[in-house]
Amino acid sequence: MNQAIYNFAVWLDTHGWSTALHESFYLYNWIETTHVLTLMFSLGLLFLIDLRMLGLALPGIPAGDLARRLHLPMLLGFSIMLITGLLLFYAIPVRTAQSLWFRMKVVLMVAAAINAWCFHHSMTTAGTGWDTARKAPPALQWGAGLSLCFWMLIVVFGRLIAYDWFDCRTGPPEPFATLSGCINEQTHY
Amino acid sequence: MTKAIAHGYPRTLAVALAIGLGLWFATSEARIDTWASLLPLFEWMETTPLGVIGQSWGAVFATVQAVHLLGMALLGGAVLVADGRLLDLAFRDTPLLEVQTHCHRLFTCGLVTAALTGLFMTCGVAIKIYYLPVFWYKMLALAVGVAFVYGVRRPLLRQDSDQVHPAVLKLLAVASLMVWFTVAATGRWIGFSG
Repeated sequence: MNQAIYNFAVWLDTHGWSTALHESFYLYNWIETTHVLTLMFSLGLLFLIDLRMLGLALPGIPAGDLARRLHLPMLLGFSIMLITGLLLFYAIPVRTAQSLWFRMKVVLMVAAAINAWCFHHSMTTAGTGWDTARKAPPALQWGAGLSLCFWMLIVVFGRLIAYDWFDCRTGPPEPFATLSGCINEQTHY
Repeated sequence: MTKAIAHGYPRTLAVALAIGLGLWFATSEARIDTWASLLPLFEWMETTPLGVIGQSWGAVFATVQAVHLLGMALLGGAVLVADGRLLDLAFRDTPLLEVQTHCHRLFTCGLVTAALTGLFMTCGVAIKIYYLPVFWYKMLALAVGVAFVYGVRRPLLRQDSDQVHPAVLKLLAVASLMVWFTVAATGRWIGFSG
């Protein structure tokens, strides 16, 4: 698995566009800035929905109504984050693919996506009457709490990608080397 | 229309004048002496416990950076919903005062989180950012944003929205979006400078 990921990353690294993106000071930084600023947009809206479900924000707006209305702009923000995130990965594929933080971030993003799907399902099956209550039903509160935890950790791990503590070129000890996907005698970093 | 907008907002106009004077100062020659006099403060910041932790513990610094981003995300979400309501783009069926009041609380939580973590980060790299023009642009934008929110926007929206000219509400929203976008963008650019 690690070998396949490494081979794929090395293949991406051979692309001229990847190198050009990485070496372009303004383009790379604009993409990264957009990635981070969209976080204020989409994650900020997600926080409002989650806090409303937990009864901590905007009690005057029906919870389901808030979630439905903010759904589209939030998804738009997440789409921009995803596209810019993929471009950032494309610019530095090998190091990113072998970053322990990036791997943990991806795992948490998958968990957050599953949680979002379950949350949406719970909301559609929750019936009516709960919308105007101060707090959402327990299942939705759990979903909102998990969502907050997942995304806070995703932001932390995303920030830590910039640090090289467990990078393969530094020769990290086990089990970090395996978890980072370091390959014996690898040629690209 | 100008008279209608200006009428009854002496505090708004006073804060706007203060912001204008601040911006004039920031672009005048007088700022250089002030900037030079602030160097000892930044040198001292690096020697404080916060500065020492920020320089010695990379993991702590990185985690605080992430919390700074989370604070900005909360701030951003509150600004978007509040300004979306002012622009009549969202929650038109919810009373304006109610949306603004609750969003203002969240905004303050986000701002306090970002400010406290920002202070820690500043202590960690005080001398470096002292010499970065973009850091001062961000501080200027932040000062304008805080003065705007607590000196103009909040006092205006605390009263009955029917008494506020509709054009003023729209202007508030546009100005708010612009100033907080500038704060976030200049903040991000600090990471690319120096």
